[in-house]
Amino acid sequence: MPRLRPSLFWQARREISPLAAQLLPACRDLESAANELRWIREHVQDTPSSVPPGLRVWNLVEKRGKGVPLQYVLGTQPFGNLEIQCRPGVLIPRPETEAYTLHLATLLSQSQHPPPHSLSILDLCTGTGCIPLLLLHALHASLPPTTALNIHGIDISPAAISLARANHHQHNPLPAPASPPLSPSHQRTLTFHQTSIFSPTLLSSLLPTLFPRSSSGLDLDLLVSNPPYISASDFARATARAVRNHEPRLALRYAARWGWCRPEDVFYARLLEIAAVLKPKRVLMEVGGMEQALRVVRMVGRFSSLLGGDGDGDGDGDGS
Amino acid sequence: MFRPFLSLRPLLRLAGFSAAHNGVLPPSSAVAAAAFTTSTATNLKQLPPRPKHPPESEIEESFLKGSGPGGQKINKTNSAVQLKHLPTGIVVKSQATRSRTQNRKIARDLLALRLDELANGSQSRAAVVGDVKQKRAASKAKKSRRKYKKLAEEKEKKGNVKEEGGRLAGEEEEWLEEEEDGEEEEGKDEGGRKEVTTLGGTGTKRATIVEVENTRNER
Ligand SMILES: C[S@@+](CC[C@H](N)C(=O)[O-])C[C@H]1O[C@@H](n2cnc3c(N)ncnc32)[C@H](O)[C@@H]1O
Repeated sequence: MPRLRPSLFWQARREISPLAAQLLPACRDLESAANELRWIREHVQDTPSSVPPGLRVWNLVEKRGKGVPLQYVLGTQPFGNLEIQCRPGVLIPRPETEAYTLHLATLLSQSQHPPPHSLSILDLCTGTGCIPLLLLHALHASLPPTTALNIHGIDISPAAISLARANHHQHNPLPAPASPPLSPSHQRTLTFHQTSIFSPTLLSSLLPTLFPRSSSGLDLDLLVSNPPYISASDFARATARAVRNHEPRLALRYAARWGWCRPEDVFYARLLEIAAVLKPKRVLMEVGGMEQALRVVRMVGRFSSLLGGDGDGDGDGDGS
Repeated sequence: MFRPFLSLRPLLRLAGFSAAHNGVLPPSSAVAAAAFTTSTATNLKQLPPRPKHPPESEIEESFLKGSGPGGQKINKTNSAVQLKHLPTGIVVKSQATRSRTQNRKIARDLLALRLDELANGSQSRAAVVGDVKQKRAASKAKKSRRKYKKLAEEKEKKGNVKEEGGRLAGEEEEWLEEEEDGEEEEGKDEGGRKEVTTLGGTGTKRATIVEVENTRNER
């Protein structure tokens, strides 16, 4: 990272505030320093505390200035219309993920005529639970009450699962039990499970209990995942210091070998294997760039015989 | 430097979606601007309605993202949203909140106001709001002139009026006026926006106005 010019610090002090200058090493430019200072002040204003506001602002600025991600400092990250709680040890949701999750919600609620009796979604490597939570909220608002939602999130990290549950608790959109209560087929549920997606029992025992069987696999409308996808060399060189130093490595890269692919693509191989068994109607996987995207597309090609699809755009593997 | 940060189409095609939409992102509710409730203050009734958002097909949207990697590799807090209205060339930007979703809405509200101003001139909502604000400022000035005149007169009458009493009365009046402002929301709506640059259209008749919304909307 290039060194910041001393004149920039002077400018921050003069034009914004000494606190902005303190934020500069983390923010890198005046505009984001000014924005973050404003957001820190607003946060202090909005959250009651017995500590004097000036002192709280100062403490938060000091923490942020030392490189702690703003989302850990303030404890949240907006994601769609939700404020997702963030804690050290669990990856902070990214704007790219937010964008496609919103897009996904629109597609799922618009593309179905007539509206389905139920919609089932599986999110692997769920982290804070941001993806299934936003989908639940958006679909809860847009789908008719006759459509049931069966949503599950899985992560290996106990910290992630307990945070995901806390987020679910805070953002539970479901109305208090109506009278008469909804029939079981109209229920809307989101459940988080702590296990590895590489666990041998995932396919044989856990997933079949979560989703009813269909003629070909399990009855699953969407498999979505934002798995760890950074390679060892990118982790050392192309990953921001704040990410490397403060976010969990477990969420970013997978070091071990598995089968025939590159280490950073291991999760996609496993995800496609899972998809081959479950045969979901749709699969969405986040990738780390065009090169990885192309490799994953080739993997999809290799799996498409297993998936039984002919690549007509209705199932998986249309992109090859 | 602005550029769209992500093209979803290849990803979605890979996943078996037909990318039906034109825009990369789901369209925001076009009626949101009209849906805000207006408050009870009487002179609001004379205000033109909040202008509607222009159609998404006329908007080019971009998100601030530096060059280099994105996704898991970085964690930028930049949530700025910039909109360009293609038919007029008007550019607006919002970085008011940490929420990109929220900023997308704020930027559309802002763009709608600018377009209304362009179309309706002095009859536009922004102009009328500006007028109301000006009148309010004028009446405030008048009131305070009256107040000080009265104080001066009383001072003359009584010989000496306690400084503190005068100041107290003044403070109370100030405070009441502030509350009035808050009730109407309009002042806050317009406040804190600053014109950053006004670029002449290069070689064309179009003027590009860049506006930045920096403050939270207290609605
Ligand atoms: C890149 S993060 C994504 C988190 C979240 N979905 C999001 O988009 O913000 C990857 C997640 O995968 C989890 N993870 C890592 N290895 C795993 C495994 N073997 N099985 C399940 N989850 C795993 C990590 O704990 C982390 O929460």
